[in-house]
Amino acid sequence: MSNWRRKLISHTLPWLLLAVAMLLVLTQVRRPEMLAAVWVPWAEVGVLAIIMTAIILTGGIDLSIGSMVALCAMVQAVLFGHYGWSIESAACVAIVTGICAGGLNGLLVVAGLSPLVTTLATMAFYRGLAMTISGANRVAGFPETFLTWKTMFGFPTQFGLLFVTGVTAWIVIHHTRFGRWCYAMGDNRLAARFAAVPVSRVEGSLYMASGLVCALVAVLNTMRHNAAVPDAYIGVELQAIACVVVGGTLITGGHGGILRTLLGLAVISLLDIGLQFSSTRVAWITAEARLIVIGLLLIVVAVWNQRLDRAV
Amino acid sequence: MNELPRVLLELTDVTKSFPGVVALDRVSFDLHPGEVHALVGENGAGKSTLINIVSGVLIPDAGNIILDGKPVKLDHPFAAHQNGILTVHQEADLFGSLSVAENMALFQRLPTGRLGFVDWRQVEIDARNSVHETGGQISTRLPAERLSVAHRHMIQVAAALTQGAKIVILDEPTSALSESDARWLFTKIDCLKKDGAGVIYITHRQEEIFMLADRITVLRDGKRVWSGGKRETNREQLINAMVGRRETLASSARRSPKKGPSTPVPLLRVEGLSDRTDRVREVSFNARAGEILGIYGLVGAGRTELAHILFGLRRPSAGRIEVDGARCSFRSPQDAIQAGLAYVPEDRLREGICSGLSVRANTVLSSLRNWTRGFLANSPAEMHATEGIVERLGIRLQSAEQPIGTLSGGNQQKVVLGRWLLTQPRVLVLDEPTRGVDVGAKAEIHRQLRSLADEGCAVVMISSELPEVMANVDRVIAFREGTVAAEFNPSVATAAEVATAVLPQKAYQNSNTPTGRPRGSRQLRGEIALLITVLALGAWLAMASEGLHLVSLLTSAALWSILGLAAASVIVAGGIDISIGSLLALAATSAALVLKLPIPSALSIPLAIVTGMLVGTAGGALNAAVSLWGRVHPIVVTLGTMTIYRGLVILLLGGKPMTGLPPEFGRMAIDPRTGFRGAIVLAVVVIATVYVWLAHTRSGRHLYALGAGPTAARLAGISRTHVWFTAFGVGGLLTGVAGVLQLSMSQQMQARLGAGWELSAIAIAVIGGFAITGGRGTVWGVVLAALLLRMTNSALVRWEVQPEQFDLLIGALILGTVLLDLIWRRRAN
Repeated sequence: MSNWRRKLISHTLPWLLLAVAMLLVLTQVRRPEMLAAVWVPWAEVGVLAIIMTAIILTGGIDLSIGSMVALCAMVQAVLFGHYGWSIESAACVAIVTGICAGGLNGLLVVAGLSPLVTTLATMAFYRGLAMTISGANRVAGFPETFLTWKTMFGFPTQFGLLFVTGVTAWIVIHHTRFGRWCYAMGDNRLAARFAAVPVSRVEGSLYMASGLVCALVAVLNTMRHNAAVPDAYIGVELQAIACVVVGGTLITGGHGGILRTLLGLAVISLLDIGLQFSSTRVAWITAEARLIVIGLLLIVVAVWNQRLDRAV
Repeated sequence: MNELPRVLLELTDVTKSFPGVVALDRVSFDLHPGEVHALVGENGAGKSTLINIVSGVLIPDAGNIILDGKPVKLDHPFAAHQNGILTVHQEADLFGSLSVAENMALFQRLPTGRLGFVDWRQVEIDARNSVHETGGQISTRLPAERLSVAHRHMIQVAAALTQGAKIVILDEPTSALSESDARWLFTKIDCLKKDGAGVIYITHRQEEIFMLADRITVLRDGKRVWSGGKRETNREQLINAMVGRRETLASSARRSPKKGPSTPVPLLRVEGLSDRTDRVREVSFNARAGEILGIYGLVGAGRTELAHILFGLRRPSAGRIEVDGARCSFRSPQDAIQAGLAYVPEDRLREGICSGLSVRANTVLSSLRNWTRGFLANSPAEMHATEGIVERLGIRLQSAEQPIGTLSGGNQQKVVLGRWLLTQPRVLVLDEPTRGVDVGAKAEIHRQLRSLADEGCAVVMISSELPEVMANVDRVIAFREGTVAAEFNPSVATAAEVATAVLPQKAYQNSNTPTGRPRGSRQLRGEIALLITVLALGAWLAMASEGLHLVSLLTSAALWSILGLAAASVIVAGGIDISIGSLLALAATSAALVLKLPIPSALSIPLAIVTGMLVGTAGGALNAAVSLWGRVHPIVVTLGTMTIYRGLVILLLGGKPMTGLPPEFGRMAIDPRTGFRGAIVLAVVVIATVYVWLAHTRSGRHLYALGAGPTAARLAGISRTHVWFTAFGVGGLLTGVAGVLQLSMSQQMQARLGAGWELSAIAIAVIGGFAITGGRGTVWGVVLAALLLRMTNSALVRWEVQPEQFDLLIGALILGTVLLDLIWRRRAN
């Protein structure tokens, strides 16, 4: 099968799914102006899915993103709420915390631990840290000056972050030397090393970037709720991975891209929102039915992509 | 020795092709009882393919195999074994984490006793006998990864010899043996001959061929070129048959030989280079600008290790490297490139190409810096560079965006060469640049190397193909056993002279004594550390509190042991299952629904238990099925089924928690009236059963084998499909048991039950010593880890720490365990 035909076929399914999801949303959502507000949490997931894409492309995985978000949010909230720091400096420390947390992941992975085990461990560790520094309590009541950043130019700031992260990642992954290295590592790590790709450097900086992005999401999430909760974002890593896989990026690395993940994000989020809205009218579409749909979607698309990729 | 069949084994017109290569082309071969039939030929001549067919690893495309006069189908290594064919493979691919004794037994199918349990006594006796045969001092309990290469070979040879085989295949058995070990092997071969067995013997050592063989068959390029008795030939004729007459044909590609160096200072100067493992010893040579230097030697002589040192992939222990007069020490390939070096690796598929990426991406990978504008990559420039290379090397393709994996081997190799040409190297090292490459591409590559040399580059070509070396280089270094044996001028020396120089004459490798001690394995050390921690924590808890609730501690540890074992049984086979938490909830829900049926509880309770277990097993099997059939990584599959199972739970519960289960059911786990804890009894039974299964049955050991060495598992005929279904199925079953137990203990079912438990279960398995890559870990480790976690939990509660901080501890524990393991492993190597 020629390359473009293969591409065409592998691209059909996500687009088809997107069309279905769009149709669902258009027919079910009565007040489209609500859509933007409903979509804000998905924008946060999208930001995390983008950095997850880059990591998965190199053959790694980061399960600790949800915990890093919680940790950074709590660092900021506790510094502001309990220690009386200014909100700006608290936010800066939160961002540094995120970079350090991601850096630790990177360090351990570069040292030779499996990314799966490492980030599984730090997932629990960072979550525990978030719980510990906050005493498992939520912190609420942030100053108005902070909350005004919730929207920028009339749009939720999350959209701005998604846009900036998306464009940056797209440029870096698809149009720089670094991005080329990522693909080579994900396809064949040993060959990449033999071709003088600085494997450790790429890996370390990606996990660190993941920490940074998590910190940014944490700050925005705190704004959105006007509160920080230590058990926020449990399970977000699975949503992010689902976006990546449904978009068509191979979980083993080397194949995929940022735009694909955005497509995956669109499919999953619209489908979920559409089903959610339709549940008010159609009795059988319940929360559980939605879960099953997303789970099935993930498996079907993954099998579809994998079978197609190996069919060459 | 009466009335032996005249022909033991006969192959007629056997053909086997791989994509792009015909590895065997209508080859016939026969073996008589009581004889040694030597199979000789250069690397890549088809010897390995032939023996893989006889040993059941590969199935021929055409041709017949006749054994004892009857046609047979050897479609599985066990089939070959049952027919009395035993093979000692050249790459001693073993199950690294398993013991020597078990390794030997796995290749011959584990012996079982009356009840179907592995007969470890027999395994041990067989292994002892084999080791005794070798006269060595190897402990049969040592993990195989800690044996030296020589001992791995000897063990395999010994195992084959003690099994009473009819046909023994020895693939370069002496390549790693010391002289005395080799002599031992020869006497054993004599014994085999006297017993009427046939031996197929593959070797590069000429003197062994003439000493041992009764008949000789020569393969070249997948064809049989000569076959006959030992007395009908001599060394020279044999070498000529092996290398063929291609020399004269290929030498037309050579231009007039260069006279002398074009620059006084050699571009690459290597002096006294050695490495710690002695694979490279005191190597010194020069490569001058404008010449092609050939390094000729047998596979395994240390040539690749030398190249790796030159390219910064391996650290030297002594010696110096100078490029253009400047002393260099490379810490990475990046450094080597900076200095103007380039290296075309030996194994194209593993080390050379990124097979899923486009030709363009592969071509420009090492020279990306040249095609960037600012920090942006410049696709048109990359494309232009790729097209230049495609044109210059005559690469045949449809489009530069085509995945490189779809090209033929020769074109792939040209791309790899092109990648390095783009870095404009001053010294180009090539390791077997024409292996598995068709004739046209081969000639093209040689032409390119010559023109590179003419442009002032120093080309170092490592090869084990003599005609190639003789025809295309200006100087040849004969490389033998890690060092430079001699230097030749190919226009003066004959092929036979060079070929003779690299043959390991009398100098067999030094016998190294077994490395490492058999006792105090890492596994045991880890378990002892865990046990001590558990005991210490337990003692402290007992003292610190008025009454340690030992029973309730054990009850909760019971559940977690079972769940930890569920995760472990999947991990040990090299898989992972993150749907455990949801599957547990699903099993518990189905059991609860059965309990709610309007039937007497005497009937509903057993039915509920069976339902829970069945649902669990089915869920696990589904995971395995999707992963195997869809070829999707288990983490994606179980991520999907995790949400599906959870959705089903909520669907079945209808959004309300389920309570009011029969009290008899609850009393099965915890009976408040008598204080009887069925949970603990159940856990003990489960732990004992899983222990027996994993440690003492063939099916359980196959899980370890697949996780420990997927390649070795293939050679030993262990089916991945079978093992994965077993592993995920049992994991699901245990999850189901845990679900029913949890239901019985809590007496209610709510939708979030088990959410996130998969992580704790995996954590218990990892802390208990199961390596995430598979093949390692014991049941006791898991039990101890479960106890440890529950105890820590109690300790935290006693310290009045928030239970949520438990996560902190789990994380730290996992990290601590894997880091400790990493450090131990580093130190062991």
